[in-house]
Amino acid sequence: MASDDFTQQALQHLDALYNFAVYLTRNPPEADDLVQETYLRALRFSHRFEPGTHLRAWLFQILRNTFLTFYRLREREVPIADDGVPDWDVPMFHDAPEDSSSAMEAHTDLERAMSRLPQDFRTVLLLAEVEGMPLEDVARVMGCPVGTVKSRIFRAKERLRALLSDYKR
Amino acid sequence: MSDRFSDSSDETLGRRLASELPRHAAPARLRAAILDAAAPRAAKPAWLVPALSALATAMVLALAFLPLLPRIVPVDPAERLTRSVVAEHERALMWGARHAEVIPAALPWLTQESGIGLRSVFAGDDRLSFVGAEPVYLDGRRGMALYYRDTDGHLVTYTVLPAAGLPVPERRRLQVDRFRPALLYDSGFSSWVWRQGDLVCFLVSDMVSEAELDRFKDYFVRVRTATEPVPAY
Repeated sequence: MASDDFTQQALQHLDALYNFAVYLTRNPPEADDLVQETYLRALRFSHRFEPGTHLRAWLFQILRNTFLTFYRLREREVPIADDGVPDWDVPMFHDAPEDSSSAMEAHTDLERAMSRLPQDFRTVLLLAEVEGMPLEDVARVMGCPVGTVKSRIFRAKERLRALLSDYKR
Repeated sequence: MSDRFSDSSDETLGRRLASELPRHAAPARLRAAILDAAAPRAAKPAWLVPALSALATAMVLALAFLPLLPRIVPVDPAERLTRSVVAEHERALMWGARHAEVIPAALPWLTQESGIGLRSVFAGDDRLSFVGAEPVYLDGRRGMALYYRDTDGHLVTYTVLPAAGLPVPERRRLQVDRFRPALLYDSGFSSWVWRQGDLVCFLVSDMVSEAELDRFKDYFVRVRTATEPVPAY
């Protein structure tokens, strides 16, 4: 397992990771599970972390990959709703509570609009704009070139603006 | 809606995301759970794993070789012979008699094969029905076995072997009608053992309980009184 130093450094990013997880899963109990799984993996594979590189980006990358792993599983398992969009309220982890009251409610138009963005667009905005991560780190987390990140940010904002203007009407 | 909605430049939208989107702080229990998971577990003693492996290996070897270990052979020759007879009874119970012959048609063949003749033979009645007969070779002796089945399905095996001078254990003898056979037990079976001249006879069944003893005595009397084996040569 990881050294105490590594654990302490990794825990400095707990709040940011949890916030990211909540917006990805839109369900706090699932976010708990996701973050916990992320840390377990990070601590187990701490020897693979290259000192001097960005621990924060590495942790976000693990979290996103973990999310995608379960997300893809869920997409295969969950029937598609009438509008062709998967039912987002289904718990991501099999043992997650299914109490709908625990699901995150969107209180503002901005939250509602964010929740309606495709997952890749939402992720890129959360990392770049909300977490203020450099584009190089975002590219590392997303596993794509920086140019693709820029393009996604542009398109994500366009989509977000359209959604917000819908709410304005 | 607020006025800021009208300002839709990229920079403004980015600022709004950073400042207006609610942030969710990790609950304290999550931090505690992660710290708990990160805490080093008490290391197992170095000797524990090899010791457990050795123990498991020894148990597997013991189980594998247990059936190959020699069984404790009874000192008493009658008990030793009884064990062979019971083993033959078990075989018949599991696989059936090898030759289902009809008495008396089979008698000449049985006598030829076993070296034992039957002046008279119990051919079955309303309680015991004859199943089959076959020559046997037990403990280095040629003999014959007759199989019966009672109305409850118990297999009863009558076996006769040449055994001149074989002592029947006195302490196991019981008075049954006008006879005094010995009652021996082996491997969950009971067996009447008695001498008739130079031959030793056995009547084996799985009736081992006190409640079944009277019935087994009755079977013994039926077979004993009706059957008279003699050496053929």
